Amino acid sequence: MAANHDDKGNANGQAAPREPRKLDRRDVLKGLSTVPALGLFGYAWKTQSDYQQARAEEVAASPQGPADLQVINVALLGAGAQGQVLTDSMLRLTGLRFRAVCDIWTEYNQKRVVNSLKRFKHEPNGYEDYREMLDKEKELDAVIIATPDFWHAQHTIDCLKAGKHVYCEKEMSSTLEGARSMVAAQRETGKLLQIGHQRRSNPRYLHCYTKILQEAKMLGRIITVYGQWNRGVTPDLGAPERYVIPDARLKQYGFKDMHQFRNWRWYKGKGGGPIVDLGSHQIDIYGWFLGANPSGVMASGGNLYYDRNTHEWYDTVLAVFDYDTPLGPAKGYYSTQTTNGSQGYFENFMGDQGTLLISESEVNYAGQLYRDPNAPAWDEWVQKGYVSAPKEQETKPKSESGAIADVRESVAPDQHTVPVTLRDPYHQPHLQNFFDAVRGKATLNCPAEEAYQTAVAVLKVNEAIEAKTRLAFNPEDFKA
Amino acid sequence: MEAAQLSRSAMIAIVFLRIVIGWHFLYEGIAKLTSPSWSAVGYMRASRGPFSALFKSIANNPQMLDNANLITMYGLTIVGVLLMLGLFTRLAALGGIAFILLFYLCNPPFVGYFYSIPTEGAYLIVNKNLVELSALAVILLTRSGLAAGLDRIVHALLSGRARLATPVRV
Repeated sequence: MAANHDDKGNANGQAAPREPRKLDRRDVLKGLSTVPALGLFGYAWKTQSDYQQARAEEVAASPQGPADLQVINVALLGAGAQGQVLTDSMLRLTGLRFRAVCDIWTEYNQKRVVNSLKRFKHEPNGYEDYREMLDKEKELDAVIIATPDFWHAQHTIDCLKAGKHVYCEKEMSSTLEGARSMVAAQRETGKLLQIGHQRRSNPRYLHCYTKILQEAKMLGRIITVYGQWNRGVTPDLGAPERYVIPDARLKQYGFKDMHQFRNWRWYKGKGGGPIVDLGSHQIDIYGWFLGANPSGVMASGGNLYYDRNTHEWYDTVLAVFDYDTPLGPAKGYYSTQTTNGSQGYFENFMGDQGTLLISESEVNYAGQLYRDPNAPAWDEWVQKGYVSAPKEQETKPKSESGAIADVRESVAPDQHTVPVTLRDPYHQPHLQNFFDAVRGKATLNCPAEEAYQTAVAVLKVNEAIEAKTRLAFNPEDFKA
Repeated sequence: MEAAQLSRSAMIAIVFLRIVIGWHFLYEGIAKLTSPSWSAVGYMRASRGPFSALFKSIANNPQMLDNANLITMYGLTIVGVLLMLGLFTRLAALGGIAFILLFYLCNPPFVGYFYSIPTEGAYLIVNKNLVELSALAVILLTRSGLAAGLDRIVHALLSGRARLATPVRV
């Protein structure tokens, strides 16, 4: 590349008038001299893509799977944010073949998930109407439902009656009638129905339940539970104009407009608001760990922040549950707010011998256990590996700020941790449990009857807020 | 700075600089295009500085966000290809500068701003965006596409045609 190329008419355009020159060989060679760099880029990109594809295929579902593994034909019904989360987890499981993706947002959600599945060598057909999907996809074994809550009952019942096993996201339904009819359909068809309370299959929660609470009884008698889910302010979801669903289709599927379609969780009759979206997961754990359903609930809540026209449910809720556990009465406090995400979400079980602070979010809450100084030693459980050895306390306890503890304060309890880690996406073990059950190799960790009891407790909170009084549960209420 | 005044080795260095910046732009664009879920929303929502209101308003408007995502994905890709080929080099350099300026202004490392997003280095006012932007300014001014790049062919063809069309001087 010559520094002096005035003969070609240099950049200045200041050259004196010259004779016109034709494009010569030198021009062509120098002009094309950097094209090989683009070729090199193409080669590097191809190599990188091949590597990524190979890695993806390693962890993705092999259509055949191990020789003795029954391949399950799966459809996804509802390809929104939660449908994508479930799909990402399912792509890490072996022995699944995606046959169909159904979503009324054909322009965006459906296309996105179908394309992402194709990258993993699946060939799913896209559908707008789930009935058409059930009619045409005769080979389906199971349907994963991640549609808005108010559609769950009908979608689940129709899929079960079409002979498919169903994994349905929580909340089971936006109404108890809907949830009951789902349980009835499951019983009638004999098909499997797993509800998406995924902590029920999380190895950390299972370890806490089976080892720490049931076997070792390390907390003693649990008297109080406190849990929260704090989430920061988030703007409403929208859609670019080119992806907006035509009004006629929205109305056909029960939505008044695109805003309601995108933000259905905030609308009465469509979802249940944050107490149902978020609280349901944790209140489910209250009942599971306490071994009891609540006997009553008081609640206070309100729409303190968001526009009530577009956010019909409460953005801030505090509920107090009464439980009559096998060991005695207990209180369950639960708070959710959607205006500040500090301290995130966790559940804190406090017994007369110890405390368990656990969260699905292990990065924020590693799963701490505190032994009350007056409780029997936990050495046996440390030796068995149920909990870690206690964290050594400093001889001169001092806070980060330099404040010194007064001698009259309680002796700090020993701090242990839950020695089990989930290294997979949160939903993966629960989906694995479902597919294992489909293959007849496991029982469901959250069958419909179990999830129904949680739905009864959670949906009552919104009623209690409106009633402004304590609402009692009858044990019969929890039987579907 | 004129291409004609540069030594041969200096021009080789500038062409190399243009190619590696083009490579970077091209891969940034392609990586975003091939990711099913990429969006600038997180980067814009974390915006600080004098233009943060603008970036946040784009992040919160689905239509504008969609446009911004498309422009970013395709823009980076096109600028990358043009820089690597040395085609319309000055226009590509200008486009690249505009993109990087937006990235820089969205989350500037100004005094007193503390980001929780991890970065791979430590920056005060000058960060790698600004360095790449400055390098593009060099490319903009030196017109290396004429020395090595398709601009040379285009220029030769166009200048030849222009001369043919030049009216006869009296």
